[in-house]
Amino acid sequence: MTKPILEVKDLAKYFGGVKALDGVTLEVPERGVIGLIGPNGSGKTTLFNVVTGFYVPTRGEVWYAGERIDGLNPNEVFLKGLVRTFQIPRLFPSLTVLENVLLTPPRQVGERVLTAPFRSKWEEQEKELARKAVALLRKFGLGEYVRARVSELSAAHMKMIETIRGLITDARVYLLDEPAAGVAYTTARELFTFIRRLRDEEGLTFFIIEHRLEVLMDFVDYVYVLHNGRLLSEGKPDEVMSDPKVIEAYIGR
Amino acid sequence: MLPSFDAFGFLVSWGTFLGIYAILAVSLNLEVGLTGMANFGKVAFYGIGAYLAASLSVYAVLAVYHVAAAPYTTEGIIALGKYGGASPALDLGIFAASLVLGFIIAGCVGYLLTYPTLRVGPAFLGITLLAFGELLRIFLLNYQPLGASKGLSGIPHPFLWIPDPVLRERLYVLVVLGFLAVTLWFAERITNSPFGRVLKAVRDDEVAALCMGKHVPRVKATVLFIGSGMAGVAGVLLAFYMSSVNPNMFVPAVTFNIWAMVILGGMGNNKGAVVGAAIITFVDRILTFITPNLGITIITPDYVRWMIVGILIVLVLMFMPGGLVPEKPIKTPAWEAVESLEKESKEGGSGGDEA
Ligand SMILES: Nc1ncnc2c1ncn2[C@@H]1O[C@H](COP(=O)(O)OP(=O)(O)OP(=O)(O)O)[C@@H](O)[C@H]1O
Ligand SMILES: [Mg+2]
Repeated sequence: MTKPILEVKDLAKYFGGVKALDGVTLEVPERGVIGLIGPNGSGKTTLFNVVTGFYVPTRGEVWYAGERIDGLNPNEVFLKGLVRTFQIPRLFPSLTVLENVLLTPPRQVGERVLTAPFRSKWEEQEKELARKAVALLRKFGLGEYVRARVSELSAAHMKMIETIRGLITDARVYLLDEPAAGVAYTTARELFTFIRRLRDEEGLTFFIIEHRLEVLMDFVDYVYVLHNGRLLSEGKPDEVMSDPKVIEAYIGR
Repeated sequence: MLPSFDAFGFLVSWGTFLGIYAILAVSLNLEVGLTGMANFGKVAFYGIGAYLAASLSVYAVLAVYHVAAAPYTTEGIIALGKYGGASPALDLGIFAASLVLGFIIAGCVGYLLTYPTLRVGPAFLGITLLAFGELLRIFLLNYQPLGASKGLSGIPHPFLWIPDPVLRERLYVLVVLGFLAVTLWFAERITNSPFGRVLKAVRDDEVAALCMGKHVPRVKATVLFIGSGMAGVAGVLLAFYMSSVNPNMFVPAVTFNIWAMVILGGMGNNKGAVVGAAIITFVDRILTFITPNLGITIITPDYVRWMIVGILIVLVLMFMPGGLVPEKPIKTPAWEAVESLEKESKEGGSGGDEA
């Protein structure tokens, strides 16, 4: 493996008595497509939440590109190039699909209050982003929904848009929380094929939580398994899938 | 029926109040309609602007003409009457300086006051601002250098050197409407921009906006700076129009009046805020013009106006929940890019999506 771009050291997060994370150490190599699996409530989303500054960890450290990032605010983590998506899509209900996707790219010229009134300063960037957004939406069959309000969409479409609005940023590392949940099988495979291509062609890194192992396992290089807030197993997809501890954890619940 | 109804005079007076209140309503719409910050202390920033203009102008005039008396004494008021209008350059200079300082000082107070509360939560912000407005008013009621409960009067009208009072008023309404035009232009421009998109995202779900890299506290503080600055300008315009200010002009009811305008016109729509302000100030002006002629003394115009405003809001919201001019999607050049892409793919024959 190449050097890690994201490292988590002895990370813990307690909610009162609930030890959602209880001392997890793992690393995500640069240009990796890494899976994170585990039964319901094993702490996967909590790990993402702590890594992205959504929660402050109870204990432990998070390192990104050689820099310690635990304790930073979510917006600061995002701007460093570490982008996450939500398990339950958190789109902005009063914005159209296009606007939801256009919102995420960071450091837009027209987002500054003093340049905002002067269209010519940001018009080109805005159009460029719109073309990029439409291309991504069309790629996943959502081209006809650009003008729709997100409240008019099906759950599967919301999920895809949640992922697409992450992918339109220029981040280096993406933490995707169950991107295939509820999505049609072929679309899910297209999405993972696209993710692999982004890794191969643009050198991006992906860390992906997924319950649909039949999709995930065909695309990831390496998998971590969480159970009750601890790392249960790790390895190549086939190693993990044949690990008795993993089978036990999944069936034993 | 109405023996002495001066229609043009009415229009000028309505236009002035419309302009001042529409600036307030547009600024409140930026805060609450677009960004979701419930500012219940709007009147404080209006009051800051008005008192800044009042104190700056009366103290400046007295200082320039070496009058030792304080502006709130009889001697001071007489001196202000004597020297106001003596120098066009001084009157206009004071007016311009008040507008600039009114914007900056009201804006900075808004920024400073709200920055610490932003982290605590949206409900806190509204209550803090409401309390601040009342504290400010109570302070003014008791602070002698600003005239305490009597306030300050003899504020020199910027056009006082024009002998004809009617012409003076007509010029002034143009200035006020000019400021409204600039305010509306600016509000519309920032609404229909990526910045406006961020505001609506913060309003919808500020935690999600934070996770998408937006510096939410800074965005809110920026909007409060602008909104409070605009309210400060409205206050300056009011002070010079009324030529006097006192603490009871800045009661919480003023804030709720501005809220009524935004709700009636349409939350989230700047033009709606102007429409709301136009309607409610129209009701106000009509009542003030008509009641003296009717000779009614039992029911005050104030009482009737709140009833009318209440009925108007209930009726409009029953039939048009979004207000008279509902919120519209943000218009940016992104849509032009989308349209040209859609045209291309139609001409290219392959219908829309590339599978
Ligand atoms: N904000 C919170 N407050 C209290 N408990 C929480 C909170 N967030 C998570 N938990 C608890 O922490 C544990 C881990 O939750 P988490 O959401 O991380 O699991 P997960 O692995 O993502 O599960 P799933 O596969 O169902 O999404 C659960 O017991 C959950 O109830
Ligand atoms: Mg989860």
